[in-house]
Amino acid sequence: MREVAIIGAGMIPFGRREQDELMDMLATASLIALDDAGLGDTSVDAVHVANVGGGMLQHQSAIASSLTDRLSLLPAAAETIENGPASGASAVKAGFLAVASGYYDKVLVVGGEKMHDISAPRATDFVAAMTHPQAEYPYGITMAGLGGMFARLYMEKYKITPLHLHAVSVKNHEMGALNPYAHIKSPIVPESVFEGDFAEINNPIVADPLRLYDLCPVSDGAAAVVLSTVEVAKRSGRPYAVVAGFGQATDTHTLAQREDPVELKAVTLAARAAFDMANLTPSDIHVAELHDAFTILEIAISEHVGFFKKGEGGEAALDGKTCLGGQIPINVSGGLKARGHPLGATGVAQVAEIVWQLRHELPPERQVQNAEVGLTINLGGFANNVLCFILKRVQP
Amino acid sequence: MSSDVMLVAHRCQTCGKVHYPRHDRCLRCKRREFDEIHPQGNAKLLTYTAIYSLPCGFDQPFLILGVGEFENNVRALGQIKTDSVKRLWTGMVVKAEWGPIRFQADRIVSGLVFEPLE
Repeated sequence: MREVAIIGAGMIPFGRREQDELMDMLATASLIALDDAGLGDTSVDAVHVANVGGGMLQHQSAIASSLTDRLSLLPAAAETIENGPASGASAVKAGFLAVASGYYDKVLVVGGEKMHDISAPRATDFVAAMTHPQAEYPYGITMAGLGGMFARLYMEKYKITPLHLHAVSVKNHEMGALNPYAHIKSPIVPESVFEGDFAEINNPIVADPLRLYDLCPVSDGAAAVVLSTVEVAKRSGRPYAVVAGFGQATDTHTLAQREDPVELKAVTLAARAAFDMANLTPSDIHVAELHDAFTILEIAISEHVGFFKKGEGGEAALDGKTCLGGQIPINVSGGLKARGHPLGATGVAQVAEIVWQLRHELPPERQVQNAEVGLTINLGGFANNVLCFILKRVQP
Repeated sequence: MSSDVMLVAHRCQTCGKVHYPRHDRCLRCKRREFDEIHPQGNAKLLTYTAIYSLPCGFDQPFLILGVGEFENNVRALGQIKTDSVKRLWTGMVVKAEWGPIRFQADRIVSGLVFEPLE
């Protein structure tokens, strides 16, 4: 298997992008990544597009073919990849395997989603379509609802309190405010959001016990990366990232069917596979992007990856161990919580963020000092399909 | 439990593991032979939530849902007949019924509905 480099990364600001069509966002992010890769007018061998809602929301299918034409990347191979909220990481995986196998030398991976074309109830319904069609969906369950049921159990079992959840939310909003690509750029004022007479109004329950500030926003956005052989990467003469480890695992579709519903088994297995491949351990990771669709998930994933023992992730967040400058900075981008969660874009955006961190090119207020190794966790469904990447900095 | 609950679960003929929803191979022993079973007795509430941001198709301010585990180990999601999560706790006993859970395409869809017994 060949070593695979990530030589370009691009993103457009996430948020409410009413002026853009889905294809505009995908094309813009792609061009930024291609320019960043220094490919100029050179084409790529393949284009992988991560998207979930094109068919359901924009009534558009075969998106990758359309994008490849629009970018004049013909006759590159083109695929659209749908794997729920893990579509982005799945598209990166497809690109990684294609280059690692020796079949392609250069692959463009782009993920994007346009979720504001529809009303909030329809967007909620669209996201809920990934729940089980007989055992969950008809009952009105939502992803936040699954998050609420998971949070109740996790909080009871591991004595997690709202203060622990607030710590995640405050941290990620603080970092989002420093990230030009973030959807939410306002730091939280705890006195008005979590305390006082207006807390119930400013931070209402969405899916008990989770409140508004425990949830990621509904976002539009796109992100892209360019994967290549190490030989192509070396030609740039600048630092680049390589895929040191990758792992993926699945779990039962329904939360109810899991032996222990608070056990994120697929996260543990995916991370373990990635660590084994990279020959690294959790203590070797300098920066991580974890799938914090809900604050409780950042805490739970940080434990299941192995950064903290079970039951210690909440205290770690409260103690600042996951902040920039802490033991393991998590979601320095603002995470899904503040950068936003355009489904197909998220897994690609996580990888792009780690690439920038490893190239040491972020502003000091967001840069993890001397970051050499980074990790991403992207969840599909409610942690029923999990992908983990470990990236390593290379200085040519 | 009301006898007309229409939910069908499957018990592996080899290892006895109970599956709901249906699986074509046993999650534990991978065999393919199952017996159809129905939930038996009352259920223990494993977890629950109240959802205030509902998908289209639900014309109400909130919805309370939970996962119940029946006496024969069938676990399933259902709506809960109560006006507040403050009246619920994990481990409480609930009675199951089969009743309307939503309107879809101008017809009533029925499903599992839990009623707190304590």
